[in-house]
Amino acid sequence: MTDPDLVSRYNYDEFTPEKFIPWMKFDASPPLGEGAPDFPLWDLEGNETSMGACWSENLYTIVEFGSFT
Amino acid sequence: MNDLAQLHKDANVGSIFVYTHEAHPGENFSHLTSMEQKQSHAHALRDELEVTRPILLDSLDGACHRAYGSMPNMTWIFTRAGIPVYKSDWTDCKSVANAIEYFLDGVKRRKDGMRLAPFRVERLDFRTQDREAFYKGLERNGPKAVEEFKAAFGS
Repeated sequence: MTDPDLVSRYNYDEFTPEKFIPWMKFDASPPLGEGAPDFPLWDLEGNETSMGACWSENLYTIVEFGSFT
Repeated sequence: MNDLAQLHKDANVGSIFVYTHEAHPGENFSHLTSMEQKQSHAHALRDELEVTRPILLDSLDGACHRAYGSMPNMTWIFTRAGIPVYKSDWTDCKSVANAIEYFLDGVKRRKDGMRLAPFRVERLDFRTQDREAFYKGLERNGPKAVEEFKAAFGS
């Protein structure tokens, strides 16, 4: 079950250091050279796929993370 | 990054864009409260900002994004087996292109009979800083996005 507090904290409503800095955790991200965690993802029509489904289709897969803003 | 995706697609290099939370919410593109809204914003990314790569939405709680370090615009490269071989805490097309070209050259070297073993390397790359374009982007999000960025970092 999704934690409603996590959803609102992660989707912060204002760009203030107290709200965005806690999410800057690149140093704790998975190491290179070891199996990475898989997660479900959804296309623009709402169809479910996954990170694993994407990277298994190609020799290499470039994954850019971001948003409109 | 769109052009890079096109350049190497015939070499079996895929490219996707994972949609995260809104880094700089504003009046025109507010913080996300539903997957429907996230879908709408992702459509705008495709239609207004012309991202031509497949756009895939992370869950509303950002599970994938958070697991990978939750930076606003990072890029990772994975092998077919799901092994990350490149990660950058921001996105610079030249840096990603340089990495992909190196990895594809490694494939060629193996095909030529060379025995290769992986090793880790750290490097400090550079990304372009176009303040004018960045502020135009914030203005597109709404005046609140501009004011909050200025308050956080100064003009």
